[in-house]
Amino acid sequence: MSGEFFGDEVDLKARARAARVMYEKFNKIVKDVIRGKPPKLEIPKRTLSNTIFDPERGILVIGEEKLEREFLNVGESRRFMQTVLMASIIYQSLIENEYPTIRDLYYKGKHTITYSDHRGRKREENTWDEQKESDSVIQDIEVFTGLFREDMLILSKEKGKVVGNMRIRSGGDVIDLSKLGHGAYAIEPTPDLIEFLDVDAEFVLVVEKDAVFQQLHRAGFWKRYKALLVTGSGQPDRATRRFVRRLHEELKLPVYVITDSDPYGWYIYSVYKVGSITLSYESERLATPKAKFLGVQMSDIFGYRSKKPYLSEGERRKFMIRATDRDIKRAKELLNYSWIGKNSRWKSEIRLFLKHLVKLEIEAIASKGLKFFAFHYIPEKIETGDWIE
Amino acid sequence: MSASVQRSRGRARTADQRGGGTGEKYREMSVAEFFAKNKELAGFSNPTRALYQAVRELVENSLDATDAKGILPWIHISIAPVPEPSQGDGSRPRYVISVEDNGVGVPVTSMAMAFGKVLFSSKYVIRQTRGMYGLGVKAAVLYGQMTAGTPVEVFSATKGSQYVHMMRLMIDVQRNEPRILEKGEWNKRGSWHGTKVTLTLEGDWSRARSKILEYVKRTAVIAPYAEIVLETPDGEILYFPRTTRRMPKPPKEAKPHPHGVDIEQLKSIIRSTRAKTLKDLLVTEFQSIGEKTAVDFLERYGIDPKLKPRELLRKGRERLLRRLVDALMEYPFRSPKSDYLSPIGSDIIEIGLRRMFAPEWVGAVTRSPKAHRGHPFIVEVGIAYGGSIESRDEPLLLRYANKIPLLYEEREDVSYKVVSSINWKQYNIDFPAPLVVLVHIASTKVPYKGVGKESVSDVPEIESEIRNAVQEIARKLRIYLSRKAREQEAIKRSITLAKYIPEVALSLAYFIRPPEKWQPPREEEVRKIKESLIRLVARNIDLPPIDGESQDPEEIVRKIVESVQLD
Repeated sequence: MSGEFFGDEVDLKARARAARVMYEKFNKIVKDVIRGKPPKLEIPKRTLSNTIFDPERGILVIGEEKLEREFLNVGESRRFMQTVLMASIIYQSLIENEYPTIRDLYYKGKHTITYSDHRGRKREENTWDEQKESDSVIQDIEVFTGLFREDMLILSKEKGKVVGNMRIRSGGDVIDLSKLGHGAYAIEPTPDLIEFLDVDAEFVLVVEKDAVFQQLHRAGFWKRYKALLVTGSGQPDRATRRFVRRLHEELKLPVYVITDSDPYGWYIYSVYKVGSITLSYESERLATPKAKFLGVQMSDIFGYRSKKPYLSEGERRKFMIRATDRDIKRAKELLNYSWIGKNSRWKSEIRLFLKHLVKLEIEAIASKGLKFFAFHYIPEKIETGDWIE
Repeated sequence: MSASVQRSRGRARTADQRGGGTGEKYREMSVAEFFAKNKELAGFSNPTRALYQAVRELVENSLDATDAKGILPWIHISIAPVPEPSQGDGSRPRYVISVEDNGVGVPVTSMAMAFGKVLFSSKYVIRQTRGMYGLGVKAAVLYGQMTAGTPVEVFSATKGSQYVHMMRLMIDVQRNEPRILEKGEWNKRGSWHGTKVTLTLEGDWSRARSKILEYVKRTAVIAPYAEIVLETPDGEILYFPRTTRRMPKPPKEAKPHPHGVDIEQLKSIIRSTRAKTLKDLLVTEFQSIGEKTAVDFLERYGIDPKLKPRELLRKGRERLLRRLVDALMEYPFRSPKSDYLSPIGSDIIEIGLRRMFAPEWVGAVTRSPKAHRGHPFIVEVGIAYGGSIESRDEPLLLRYANKIPLLYEEREDVSYKVVSSINWKQYNIDFPAPLVVLVHIASTKVPYKGVGKESVSDVPEIESEIRNAVQEIARKLRIYLSRKAREQEAIKRSITLAKYIPEVALSLAYFIRPPEKWQPPREEEVRKIKESLIRLVARNIDLPPIDGESQDPEEIVRKIVESVQLD
């Protein structure tokens, strides 16, 4: 197994760099142990309290707080074991030119430790039980080494899709994103290894839902309006977010986001824009602070000041869904987030929600007529600048 | 009830000593006759109790003939059903009880009296023995002849004698005299000495079974130096081997203490004394009274020291006699001597508890002697915890008085009162818990609640001694338990860490070489890291010493690490 068959130059370089970083970080611990020094990992904390909104850059970043994961601390020894176990698996994968997914890593590391306790009773313990555990360990290693999953050539399921007038190079092949028929290009887990060749687009439209993406694709939306159409199929994965960020940063294209009109949709928008709390350490590379929330806005439904609603009284009755208690709780939480709470447009958006206590899915606007949605609603809002930042 | 027995004792004694010239007259009623009419007084109220009581009396006699005389006891108890001659004749089940020991034996000259005359007993002296009234075995003999119509059979040989003597006898109830049916003697072969008593009586084995087994077991608990065999009517054999050769020191005889004397007792003393004056009587017949004390005492109460003792028994002197008794009780004499008490000893209690319960921890104490109303007593307490002891909602209480297990009337007993009122939580014990508490009261006079002699009254001096003793041992148990908890905690910690060592060592070994020189880790590289981790973890464990011993943490860690398998 060598680089001749697997991966290209770009991959190999990434591997060598990641392996070196891991070696340096973990070899230090080996040396500590041999010298009789209690081994510990210093890891920046991935907690809400250590997640800071950087207003200058407009993104969530990880703070200064660090935790020391000591093997000799009974409460942390299991996690320490899991961390070094996972590190050894990733390290070996890097060296042996493998492309594990996070699921692969979970299975590779999952086994049973059998031992006899001081009374001679046989006991068993799994290195980890659920993938949630091993995923979380991978995140620890990312924070500890400063390497992202993608840097360590760890793959995850492709969730994001893109179509548009654009050609890219990936793994040595040139792909034309405008010639994929009814299908779309699945955004690969290592978006940094994609090379942008040429592009003819004026903006990026990110839609929350895959179904709406397909409707707009088939309606020919991106051709008519010179758009790059992207979806993250719900909560976007890191590849999709990184890809959108690169489109914005490297091609200088404005990014518009369309989600459901409810607290969950708003949170998805905020993930594109400022980053997520659990992954705040990677916001710097993943977030697109200038992404604009195009809709669906509460004011699109109810109107606001001089703005006329897009939906009639009857349509509203037909499409609105009653908000659940969880939605309400979530909305109130969002008001506490500094990047929302300090924005008056967002505040009035959320207040409208809390006043009417109803929500609306994007499909509702599309149900009014795909043509209305694709050729009236979206372009009109972009033209009139009817978005929230 | 207690008073009536005391009185009957007095009469028997008087009858015994007729011609002593006291001039007093008593209506004669044979104590044997009295007993026959009041069986329940001696614990023979029904066939169940009778069977239990008879076994008890015989076993206690055997123990008194052995350990009290410095002999390591060997006791063989056998209970067998009497085959029914014909069905349906209405007769109730009868049993043959036979108890054999290797004791000092009964001299042939007193054999008939010892088994055939109520209240003739070597026990009628002031010292601590198992039975107090000497009624026991004769009550069993009487009960046997009343319910089964059979005589008692005794084989005995004393230590120095060349003969083995045998006697079959019954008690003449009216005359309270032994009636010998058969006797014989044989030349001794070997050096056997001891006694074997066989009697037949009506009983209810199925109901008495659990009590008898419990009685023998509890006897074995405090007599681990005895070898005891019990053969039951069910064909079971319970065998308690000797587990120690240590024995409690035999009790000595002693004179009465003035604080404990009553009028009847004083009269007996006056009748039997050789002292010519009251002062001499005090000095020679009582403990804790010397010349000086006697003079000072008599002076203080204005009693003539030269008074002839027998004067006090004369008519019209009752008031003076009473005044003397009251004075004896009042005057601050030295505390009673306790060397005629025979405690079991804390070491023997511990051995016995260990043997019977295989506990995890055991502790015992023999308190120093105290007195209640002029009677010295010693309280001993043993506590056993954990191990094979079953958890219960309250402590399993083993009560003993003068080395006799007390099985009935537990809740009436002062020991129960104390043990159940202790706040065990304070000693880190949460019920249900595997806890056994043994309480032994040794005294020349155990203040029983009833004539059944199954429970002890809550005399304040005794109660507080029991409480102090239980608390003393419970405190030690608490120290043990908290050390153990700390140790468990430390061991748990070491396991938590140790079990991960192989995995961590193997994973870290991957990072020994840089990427360009990478190869799978070698065994010795993994071992080197593993050893380092073992030392690191062991250094991090603080094992408290238990009973002066502390375990080697590195050994514990290494053992767990070596047991780990990664699949």
